[in-house]
Amino acid sequence: MTERSDISTLRDLSGDIWNVAVDEYEKGFLKRRDLLKYAALIGLTGFATSQGLGISGSARAAGGQQGGTVRVALDQPTAAIDPILVTDPASIALISQVGEYLLLDDPKDGLLPKLALSWEADETAKTWTFKLRQGVKFHDGRFVTAKDVVATFERLVDPASGSSALSAYKGLLSKGGTRYVDEQTVAFDLDSPNSNFPFYVSSDVVNAVILPADYKGDFEKTFIGTGPFKLDAFLPKQGASFVRNADYWGEKALPDRVEIKFYNDPQAQVLALQAGQLDVIPYTPRSALAVGSNPAYKIISVQASTHDEVHLRTDQPVFEDKRVRRALALTIDREAIVKGLLKGRAIVGNDSPFAPVFSSTDPSVPQRKQDIGEAKRLLGEAGVANGFEVTLTTERAYDIPDYAVLIQNFAKKAGIDIKLNVLPQDAYYGSATFGNSPWLDSVLGITDFGHRGTPDIFLNATLKSSGTWNAAHFNNPTYDALLLDYSKARDLQAQRIAAGKIQNLLLDETPLIISYFSQYSRITSSKVDGVRFTAISHLLLDRVSFA
Amino acid sequence: MTGDMSLAARQAPVDRATSIRRVVERFAKPPVVIGASVLLFWLACALFGNAFVPFDPYADDLLSTLTPPDGLHWFGTDQLGRDVLSRIIVGSRDILLIAPLATLLGVVSGSLVGLILGYVGGLTDIVGGRILDAFMALPFVVVVMMTLVAIGPSNITVITVIGLAYTPLVARTVRSAVREQREQDYISAARLSGENALSIMFLEILPNVRETIMVELVTRLGYAFFAVATLSFLGLGIQPPSADWGLAIAEGYGFLTGGMWWVVLFNSGAIVSLVLATNLIAHSLGAFEDSP
Repeated sequence: MTERSDISTLRDLSGDIWNVAVDEYEKGFLKRRDLLKYAALIGLTGFATSQGLGISGSARAAGGQQGGTVRVALDQPTAAIDPILVTDPASIALISQVGEYLLLDDPKDGLLPKLALSWEADETAKTWTFKLRQGVKFHDGRFVTAKDVVATFERLVDPASGSSALSAYKGLLSKGGTRYVDEQTVAFDLDSPNSNFPFYVSSDVVNAVILPADYKGDFEKTFIGTGPFKLDAFLPKQGASFVRNADYWGEKALPDRVEIKFYNDPQAQVLALQAGQLDVIPYTPRSALAVGSNPAYKIISVQASTHDEVHLRTDQPVFEDKRVRRALALTIDREAIVKGLLKGRAIVGNDSPFAPVFSSTDPSVPQRKQDIGEAKRLLGEAGVANGFEVTLTTERAYDIPDYAVLIQNFAKKAGIDIKLNVLPQDAYYGSATFGNSPWLDSVLGITDFGHRGTPDIFLNATLKSSGTWNAAHFNNPTYDALLLDYSKARDLQAQRIAAGKIQNLLLDETPLIISYFSQYSRITSSKVDGVRFTAISHLLLDRVSFA
Repeated sequence: MTGDMSLAARQAPVDRATSIRRVVERFAKPPVVIGASVLLFWLACALFGNAFVPFDPYADDLLSTLTPPDGLHWFGTDQLGRDVLSRIIVGSRDILLIAPLATLLGVVSGSLVGLILGYVGGLTDIVGGRILDAFMALPFVVVVMMTLVAIGPSNITVITVIGLAYTPLVARTVRSAVREQREQDYISAARLSGENALSIMFLEILPNVRETIMVELVTRLGYAFFAVATLSFLGLGIQPPSADWGLAIAEGYGFLTGGMWWVVLFNSGAIVSLVLATNLIAHSLGAFEDSP
């Protein structure tokens, strides 16, 4: 079916939008898996799954044995567990034991149908209609209907709910925009056209877990959801346990139980793994070095759009001059950072959120490389040939302090003297509003961004002139117009053309430096198989089996 | 001191020559010599370290990260490929600047408070004493951490916060010593000769409690070294890319389970040597006998 000689068969599957992708596939711009992922995005789910998309988990399950307990370490959740408010990786992993989305954005297979079976957009990509899977039950025995889905999304876009998804839906979906069509059908009337909207109802928006219409915010008491496990016990600050959900709509979970313990320290997680007390722990570069190449452990990684964004205040001296911004970006040796700091578990970035994992990314845009001579020339042109002093403010998290030191050393080569101000994470984010947050107010800063299935949230929130996370204070009408073109683009080719224009503009303007996109990883014992996860911290354990 | 005060001065219980002799006797002891030598060594490193480091302590080498100790890098390299030995040599700079200044601030302000409370006595002493007790009941590290988080970490903040945290501790000790002195005959003589309260406090009593203050100074200095290192370890003190030892331990701690021990071991050793050296001197000055 998917041999190049069968192109005409592929063309018969759908209309023009699909055929543009088929053209790209025929010309070799698109790989088979990317074509299948695109099929899923536009709702050709039957075709995608018939070609093997999304069955990797099931295939593993076939060889797995039922039973056993999966023992998992997570970091300490940062707040009370509530899908509407959740932002931290530990809470996301915890919720993903019981909660499900309309779609799952699988790192390998792209969008997979979960509580939604099929979806389609109208001609303008402004109204999207989702058909729900029948026979899905919440853990309390009630069936999932369109009313629950409408209530879930209405809550998420309601400012009064304090939802953490408000930034994601800003300018895209408003209160009243989610419509009940019938018991199994929901329609979304968007504020503006968006061809990537299915990603916004997927696991990419971690808060979009489908909850009952009468959900009262008491998630910690019930952990109510539709997933393959249901709550056994939850002890705040200590951990949680889950048991197999016998009424699950899909293939029943293989393990009998999942036991999760919270740890404050990655060192303790590694020691417990080494002592045989745990099967799965979070990845940190230090933990990875600890398990090294020992065959008793596995490091599983997925390619992601996770990155550390360096923002440069475009409205304040000295970065108001784009030549200075470009100069700083040119001092950075990205290959060395990927090899030395990230131990190869990353790919080089090109100062835009368009990661190579996105099918819309234009690969023809030239890659920025270290060029100290050019950096000095630009500084000279900008009138700061002797360099300047600037403070880089950032958070004490992950490898960011080390990355900051490397940027400081690289910049020194062009005469830029960077002072570091490394703050505890809470202090760095402050209240996350302009005027009250070192993150959003600093002249130069580094902020970590988790994976998303499309670059849309990065492009809207961090670069649009009205963006809520626009730490660079980038105010460029051309960019805003190009972003609108990108959002409206219905087919992959149009998206890629718009993406290329944005990528080139961002290279020229350089409001951000994105040196790398990190892989997302977890460390497991070699005795377990079938551990799956998304690059945004969901931990899927229903297909786990023991050797 | 005026002629009228000479009587009081002559009656002071601690004779200047005796005092000097006692100090010399104490400093001639082996623990003091060893302690002072170690302190001087680190002081030399702080002042002139850059002149004799084998590598640039701040230059990264991303192709040689976390290499174990060998002939080239005697103490190995850290996670950015920086030479650990070179960083330990220059890493003494921040701690040797911050800890003494913080101690000085704490001892000066604590001595002032102690002097006033001890001399004035009465209701002022009772109320002031209870306030000092209340401050001392607060856990030191928690208070310092909360303050640093609230106002943001910087060298000046760390000096101020540690200095202020030490103030009640020093004040209580000095107050006890002052109260003892206040009852002495030479103070009565000074009062009879018409000296005002400020003169009595600063010119009569202060010289006679200076030993207590000296002991307090050295003892607190040892604790201050430890406090600065602890705050750096917790990420609330000195900022990267400083080669500060506490910061280096915090950065290298996560590599221990991977068998990469050298960053933590050598930096810990440096802190231990500094604290031990200070404690050896403090012990010889009678710190542990006299202070609470």
